[in-house]
Amino acid sequence: MRTYDVCVIGSGAAGGVMAKELCEGGAEVIMLEAGEEVPPSRFLSHKWPYELPYRGLRDEKQAPFYPKDISAVRYQDTDSGIGVDRVRVLGGRTLHWNAVTLRYAPSDLRERSLAGVEEDWPLSYEELEPWYEHIEQTIGVCGQDDHLEILPAGRHYLPPLPWRCSERILARVGKSMGVPVIPVRKAVLTVPYDQRPPCHYCGHCMDGCDVSSIFTTPDCMLPKARATGRFTLRQNAVAREILTDSSGRAQAVSFIDRTTRREEQVRARVFAVCCATIESARLLLNSKSPQHPDGLGNSNGVVGHYLHGHIGGGVSIYLDELAGTKPVNQDGATDHVYVPRYNQLSGKRDYAGGWGIQVNFDSYMFPDQAQHLAGYGAAFKAKVRRLQPGYLFLGTFCKALSSPGNYVTVDSHQTDAYGIPIPVIHYRLGENDRALWRDQTANVQELAARLRGTVFSNLESGPGGFASHEVGTIRMGNDPRTSALNGFCQSREVKNLFVTDGSAFTTSSEKNPTLTIMALSARAADYIKRQRKLGAL
Amino acid sequence: MKRRQAIKIVTLGALAASATEGIVTRVAEGCAWAPGDYRLAFFSEEDNRLVDELMEIIIPADAHSPGAHAAQVSLFADMMISTSHAAEQRQWRQGIQAMRDEASRSSAAQALAKAAASESHPEADLDRFFVALKRMTVDGYYTSEIGIHQDLNYQGNTYLSAFPGCDHAEHE
Repeated sequence: MRTYDVCVIGSGAAGGVMAKELCEGGAEVIMLEAGEEVPPSRFLSHKWPYELPYRGLRDEKQAPFYPKDISAVRYQDTDSGIGVDRVRVLGGRTLHWNAVTLRYAPSDLRERSLAGVEEDWPLSYEELEPWYEHIEQTIGVCGQDDHLEILPAGRHYLPPLPWRCSERILARVGKSMGVPVIPVRKAVLTVPYDQRPPCHYCGHCMDGCDVSSIFTTPDCMLPKARATGRFTLRQNAVAREILTDSSGRAQAVSFIDRTTRREEQVRARVFAVCCATIESARLLLNSKSPQHPDGLGNSNGVVGHYLHGHIGGGVSIYLDELAGTKPVNQDGATDHVYVPRYNQLSGKRDYAGGWGIQVNFDSYMFPDQAQHLAGYGAAFKAKVRRLQPGYLFLGTFCKALSSPGNYVTVDSHQTDAYGIPIPVIHYRLGENDRALWRDQTANVQELAARLRGTVFSNLESGPGGFASHEVGTIRMGNDPRTSALNGFCQSREVKNLFVTDGSAFTTSSEKNPTLTIMALSARAADYIKRQRKLGAL
Repeated sequence: MKRRQAIKIVTLGALAASATEGIVTRVAEGCAWAPGDYRLAFFSEEDNRLVDELMEIIIPADAHSPGAHAAQVSLFADMMISTSHAAEQRQWRQGIQAMRDEASRSSAAQALAKAAASESHPEADLDRFFVALKRMTVDGYYTSEIGIHQDLNYQGNTYLSAFPGCDHAEHE
């Protein structure tokens, strides 16, 4: 049986970076992906609702990204509104995202030192910064340097997206309240870049970009990996467990081919687990052996614990200033502006963390106000129409604290279609989360009121989570007792095992995690390359 | 849970779990639903006439655009309900019967007005049926060609070479 230099499990943001970097560094890489490729020819992005079987109301556009046979999960002991993302497709969440790419601030990596909560990351912003820069230049990010301490900037941005009327009004009102509004930074091309065309502003980022203007692993990373001649891809390969040798070192991955339903193995010298926060923990917990009776690299019982992610809510505002104006094409590239965290700028708080606001990432096609306005008849219909041009959506993303009591585990009595124990989610909000939520709600309600318009909000009903931003289940750390990985995303117990997706995060901030996932993965890939040269792997 | 649903939780806070599990899924994804040759699968002809009448009262034709009747929203409703959960089907069976009984004593318009009286705090079955009926009307109408193009005059879902940003001085 052939032995690859590296086996990358998972093809999302982390796996794509890992495969590309290692192939270019001379390694023979095989990538396993449980899902399959959904090429642009299968995207339904531009279909009108009335061209779809259920008008798109049953997620027809996104159904190909969520094959039912491999997306089972069970919720147990969770607060209402908590949900984890189960996307399983070649490219993972990069095929199905708004592409907001924000750097963590230096302070985001030092919560224990600065705020007295959680743990510090085992690496500094200065150590991560070159990898942020590397990724931004590789994938193409639009935006600008806004000179904000809480949101560090890179050195090379593509031109920012033009602002809509509602966003300029938001900036004007925000300025009067000390709420910053900046051009969003996202991996959407505003000019040709890396042989890809610029965005055509159809608003379908989340449904699959048919021209590769948004960053995805299949469009941007895998071609570079393939160009080296050292890349092998196995789709429909559902990893069951990682097998170890008698010394406890990772030796092979056992996987099921979804097309043949046969079990196979692939051997490698190094394994990079990039399956995302739920699946990576599931894989390690399902990888039990005499050397690792509680799961791979889990003698301290940390794997699966510290599950957290963004909690958030939304406010729809139909601005009086724009009501009744002539309809214009507002689709764009979903969000064009971003409200970075601002609660650190004023006063002392009784909680740690803050929130950011993503703006206008929802579709302009369907008038959500029609589901909220009371009444019916001609006046109702006219009001729906009159409000629509003024639509402004604010989606809040709040930091949630990592806690050992929140975790994902596996249920050996409940298996998926391939006999693999499914993940089980346990999650409860903590007091800090609730205190932050209360302050966020009051602040955003005031912002909405100052904007003047018809407002529909769900903030009052409590937070939802995790907006696909789950992190923390196989975390890095300084303390071997409370972490599974060192600062290079390397398992402390299994030296040829790396985990570079969101599960490696020590803590979360209010910022979207994907850019940090990619930077961590690139940094880990560099470490693997150097260790291989030294013969240490 | 699908990512879009996760975000909808962020936006609307309404969905707790997949609302589509257990629903009959059509094989031919991407095929357009064609009202012209549509055959009722859940409503009787009599049901359909009543639902059509009620929906047209909810979103009527006006000088600006046609309403729910022209958009054939009742046929959309039939398709959605016929492929939905038993509990939803039961609510519609009972709701239609209750509306029919009420309308026979007065009129469809008065029956609808009675059902809608407690829209913000629905307690009785009839109140809840109005909420479901209105939601279905809204969903069907604003995803139809008439709703999207003629009523809302939606300008998007197209290919632009540049995005025209706001340059209105009053929005600065």
